Amino acid sequence: MLFSLRELVQWLGFATFEIFLHLLALLIFSMLVALRADMFTPMLSWWLVFVPLFAADGLSTYFTAIVSIRLYQENEKRLAVLRLLWVLTVLCLKLVCEVLLCQKLAEEEQARDLWFGLIVSPLFILLQLLMIRACRVN
Amino acid sequence: MSLAQRVLLTWVFTLVFLIMLVLKLDGKVQWNWFLIFLPVWVFDGILILMLAIKMAGRCKPGYDPRNGSPDLRLRSWYLTAMLLKVGFCLTLCAKLEKLADVKLTFVCIPLWTMLLGALVELGLNIFPERREA
Repeated sequence: MLFSLRELVQWLGFATFEIFLHLLALLIFSMLVALRADMFTPMLSWWLVFVPLFAADGLSTYFTAIVSIRLYQENEKRLAVLRLLWVLTVLCLKLVCEVLLCQKLAEEEQARDLWFGLIVSPLFILLQLLMIRACRVN
Repeated sequence: MSLAQRVLLTWVFTLVFLIMLVLKLDGKVQWNWFLIFLPVWVFDGILILMLAIKMAGRCKPGYDPRNGSPDLRLRSWYLTAMLLKVGFCLTLCAKLEKLADVKLTFVCIPLWTMLLGALVELGLNIFPERREA
């Protein structure tokens, strides 16, 4: 659309398969959110609703570790370390945002001091990092 | 547009939308949800306009449709996806503003359709040999 798949892969630093994984997780997560909101089933806790997103982060970390090890073995040491650092930073920021949001939704009373500005702050950091990376890729 | 310009465009609209969303969710502003989604409307409007202009360019006299048919199919899908996204955002705003009493499942149907389409498109890119078969 605005970006080709090749440009997206270069900019975000994720493989096509990882993007596929995160989109699939988002689809399942949105389905669970709708199920929880409409049926209001107490069995379905917010931590359970967020499981697809956590699982995608875990699988993405595993995939990145494998790719980095392979790159390291093929003597692409600099590329392997850079890729691992970038992907882990992005995944950590995403995970922090998800955990904070989940905590806010799950424990409404106890997490009253947790304001949304704080929850979204990892995304603001991520946006700055993506802008810097875009300049490098360009 | 160069990659940097496109990234800057996306970045600015995402940043403004996130700031407005946080202000609304924290109760700092009492604006209408449709106003909060203003960066999304403007960004989607620009994208739809760009797609429409590119598709209209194919209707020029002298254009060979045999060369452009797969590209046109892709652009039609992009346009459909954008319209689905706008539909989702509109119904979500209407629900949040309590203008329409619809279940979240119905609100999410355009989003799910768009995500499924994107997954199929990505899947075809991951396994290109199956596309040719």
